[in-house]
Amino acid sequence: MHIVDGALSNPVLIGGAVLAVGGIAMGLKKLPLERIPAAGVLSASFFVASLIHVPIGPSSVHLILNGLAGLVLGWAAFPALFVGLLLQAVFFGFGGLTVLGVNAVNIAGPAVLAGLIFGRLVSRGGPMQGAIWGGLGGGFAIAATTLAVAFSLALSGDEFVPAAKLVFVAHIPVIVIEALLSGAAIFLARRVKPELFAGSKGGWT
Amino acid sequence: MIRSLILIAALAAPMPALAHNVISSVFPSGSDIEGEVGFSSGDMATDLLIEVFDDAGNKLGETVTDADGFFLYTPTQPITHIFRGDLGAGHVAEVMMPASEVAALMGREAAASTASASVGTPTAPTAALAGLSDQARAELATMIRTELRPLRQEISAYKNKNNLQTILGGLGYIAGLFGLGFYIAARRKMEGGK
Repeated sequence: MHIVDGALSNPVLIGGAVLAVGGIAMGLKKLPLERIPAAGVLSASFFVASLIHVPIGPSSVHLILNGLAGLVLGWAAFPALFVGLLLQAVFFGFGGLTVLGVNAVNIAGPAVLAGLIFGRLVSRGGPMQGAIWGGLGGGFAIAATTLAVAFSLALSGDEFVPAAKLVFVAHIPVIVIEALLSGAAIFLARRVKPELFAGSKGGWT
Repeated sequence: MIRSLILIAALAAPMPALAHNVISSVFPSGSDIEGEVGFSSGDMATDLLIEVFDDAGNKLGETVTDADGFFLYTPTQPITHIFRGDLGAGHVAEVMMPASEVAALMGREAAASTASASVGTPTAPTAALAGLSDQARAELATMIRTELRPLRQEISAYKNKNNLQTILGGLGYIAGLFGLGFYIAARRKMEGGK
């Protein structure tokens, strides 16, 4: 999921960095005081989620949890995920510092998108209904991330369709697991702490 | 929210922390270039297409890794060789062997073939002076490489290991960063409220 240093061409890297700066600025603007702790907690869970490996056949994939962050935080997920990515790059060597911008756009972008599309739906209806939308949002974020990764690779010269297929197929299990996990997390949050969604002070718009 | 995160954390704890870093290396192996590609978790890249380029980006050829993630390539020109394998999902392994090393490797092969061609002629004893025949030397090199292989893999896996301290350190940074953000936001709000 994290693109490594050297896989992308320079224009793509610069474009990604510019977009990421824009996203972070936008996210910080939409991050009210009340949601900063939530952003921190989700950033931390994103940081740790990448260490949870799901074995699939000979290989393994790791969780990303960007959808959950997007559903709860909306635009504010961008800076939160960026911090997580930065620390993953520094501490674990996931991705790299030059590709940080592209990775941020690829992972935080779909999270924000999921938040914008599914965020309101998650806060509506009963907890169960919210959980289903949450699951859809979580799965959607990963699917969109795989496409974004394939797209960045395509911009650097890889063929889009095979690259997209490869990344997407490899992540189908993650999509399923993330959907279930996001759904469960939303279900729990809706029951235990409904104000996280209902309040939505400057949440998604 | 918090409960679910605790649940996630609890699920995460017993799992081995493995990184998805790509490791790759090339080294001379007789007249060939041998290399390996894999993930730092110890999963080697099997049946992976390795493309070979020169430093200008022209494709020289390609090869495929075996079941242990190793590949062999026979260079035909003494120029810089760049080996590139795409493991998918943005994982790209790229290793370079500089022209001097390739030249040395090919030079050695050329020398070896002339030496073997001259075997049986009266000038052959020059090879025996080296103490070891070329064949014994090649066998020795293969043996050493085989012995060192697991060690090298272990070292690169160890280098990429994430221990608990690293994870806790990262979480500490996140707490600190967001605490700082909270502080700044709160101060701004209080000043605005005055």
